[in-house]
Amino acid sequence: MLELDGVSTRYGPITMLRDVSLALEAGRIACLLGPNGSGKTTLIRTILGIVRPVRGVVRLGGARIDGLRTHEIVKLGIGVVPEGRRVFPKMTVEENLRMGAFVEWTAADVAARREYVYGLFPRLAERRRQKAATMSGGEQAMLAMGRALMGRPKLLLLDEPSLGLAPLLVEQLFGIIRAINEGGTTVFLIEQNARKTLEIAHHGFVLQKGEIVGHGSARELAASEVVRHAYLRA
Amino acid sequence: MPPLELLLQQAWNGVMLGVMYALVAVGFTLFFGVLDVIHFSHGDIFMLGAFTGLTVLAGLRAAGVGGALLALPLTFAASILVTGAVGVLAERVCVKPLARASPLMTLLATLSLGLVIREAVLIFYPRGADPKPFPRLLPQGGVELGGVAIRYENLAILGIGLAAMVAVDLVIRRTRMGAAIRAVAQEPEAAQMMGVNLDRTVDATFFLGSGLAAVAGILSGLYYSEIHFIMGVTGGVIGFSAAAIGGLGNVYGAIIGGLLFGVLQTTAAALIPRGSEFRDVVAFAVVMVFLVFKPSGLLGEKSVERV
Repeated sequence: MLELDGVSTRYGPITMLRDVSLALEAGRIACLLGPNGSGKTTLIRTILGIVRPVRGVVRLGGARIDGLRTHEIVKLGIGVVPEGRRVFPKMTVEENLRMGAFVEWTAADVAARREYVYGLFPRLAERRRQKAATMSGGEQAMLAMGRALMGRPKLLLLDEPSLGLAPLLVEQLFGIIRAINEGGTTVFLIEQNARKTLEIAHHGFVLQKGEIVGHGSARELAASEVVRHAYLRA
Repeated sequence: MPPLELLLQQAWNGVMLGVMYALVAVGFTLFFGVLDVIHFSHGDIFMLGAFTGLTVLAGLRAAGVGGALLALPLTFAASILVTGAVGVLAERVCVKPLARASPLMTLLATLSLGLVIREAVLIFYPRGADPKPFPRLLPQGGVELGGVAIRYENLAILGIGLAAMVAVDLVIRRTRMGAAIRAVAQEPEAAQMMGVNLDRTVDATFFLGSGLAAVAGILSGLYYSEIHFIMGVTGGVIGFSAAAIGGLGNVYGAIIGGLLFGVLQTTAAALIPRGSEFRDVVAFAVVMVFLVFKPSGLLGEKSVERV
C-alpha cells in the first residue's frame, strides 16, 4: 500500500523527519502516535507532496510518488482530513462535499456519494445549505470527514480528526472510521488520543522528534514500554 | 442645488463609468482572492486591451469586415485572448517567482511591468503619445426619459458590461474551474488536497481577470471615442479603489464598488461648483474617509478574518 523508505525532511536548518521508514498494510487501520511537534503532520504533508523529502522514497501501490505534485498524488485515490480540518469556510456543506469529488467532477454518482455521506452524518444533511464557517467544531469535523470520503478513497489520511470534539462525538467518529475501514478502505490515523486510537487500529508507529521509535501491532504497542510511558499514563 | 434631472443624468453617466470600473475592479479582487497579491500592472493591461481592440478593428476594416455586429464580437474575443495571455504571463514573471519574497517585492515588480507595458505602447504603437480616436461602432441617437438623455450607445455599453459580469459570475459559481478558484481563495492547501491543480487555477484566474480588463478597455474606447496610452494609470487606481471599497477578494463587492465610484464622481461633478475639475479629488477623498471607517470594505470578509 503506502510505504516510506528512509525519508528525511528539513525545514530550513531544522530536520523535521529523520530516516523514517514505515509501511501501511492494505485494508487495515494504521495509526501514528507521537507528542505535539514530533513531526506527525510533517509526515502527512510529505506523503502529500506539500513538503519535499531531502532523502528517501515514498511509494503508493509500488509506484514512487515523491516528486509528484499534491493534486497528482491525491488523484491516485487518497482522501485527506487535514490538520485543523480546513473546510472551505464560505462554501455551503453541499459545496464542500462537491469539492471532495473534485477529481471526478462529472461522475454520475456524485449525488449518491453525497447521500452516503449524509447517511453517515445526518447532521450534515440538516445543514446542507449552511456555510461551513457558521458551523460548530464538531460539525466541521464531520464535514471534513465527509468531504474526504466523497472521492471514494482507497487510502484515508486523517490528521487528528477528533481534536477538540466532545467524547461522545469522538466515540461516534471512531465508529465511523472503523466502518469505513471494514468497507475496504485503508486508513492512516494520526492521533494524540492513544488509548482510543489503539482500540480501533490494527497496527501503528510511534514518532518522536522526527524519528520512528516504535512499531508493531496495536496490541504490542499498547503493551510496549515507550507507549505506556509516554501516552497511556492517565 | 442643481435640478433633479441633472443629478439623474449625472448618476446615469456615473453608472456607465461604474460598469467599466467594476470590470477592472473584479480583476483586482480575483487576483487578491486567489494569491493575496495586488497586481499593479492590471491598469495597464486594461489600456493594452483598448489598444489591442483598436488594432484589431483597424485590421478588420482593412480586411473589409465593416459591420459592427461582426467586428465587435471579433474585437472583444481577440482582445480578451491577448490581455488574458499577457495577464497569465505577468503572473508567471512578476508574481509566482516572488511567492516567498516580501509582498512589497510583488508590488514593485507589478508596478514595473505596468510601466513596461505603458512605455511599450508609447514607443511601438504608431504615434503612441497621441490620443487615438476610437471608432464609433455602437448605434447612435437616443431617447429622453424624465429629462434624462439615454443614448443607445450607453445602453449597449451597459448591456455588454453586465453580460461580462454575469458570465464571470456563472464561471465562478457554476463551473469546476470556478469551484477551484473559490477553493484556492479560501483554503489553498486543502484545495490541492482535493485534487485542485494550483498553477492551472492561478493561470485561469489571471486569464479571467485580465480578459475582463480588455472588455473594460474596449468599452472605454467606445464610450469616450478616444483612448490614450496613459489611461491605465487612472483606470488602475480607480479599479483598485473600487475593489477596496467593495472589500478585496469579494467579486460582488468589486462590482458595487465600481458603480459607487462612478456615480460618486459624476454626482460630485454636478453638486460642487467647478466639480468636473474636482471629481477625482472628491471621489478619492470619499474613498479615503470610507476606508478609514471600514477598512475591510463593504463586503470584505478576508481582511476581517486577518485582524
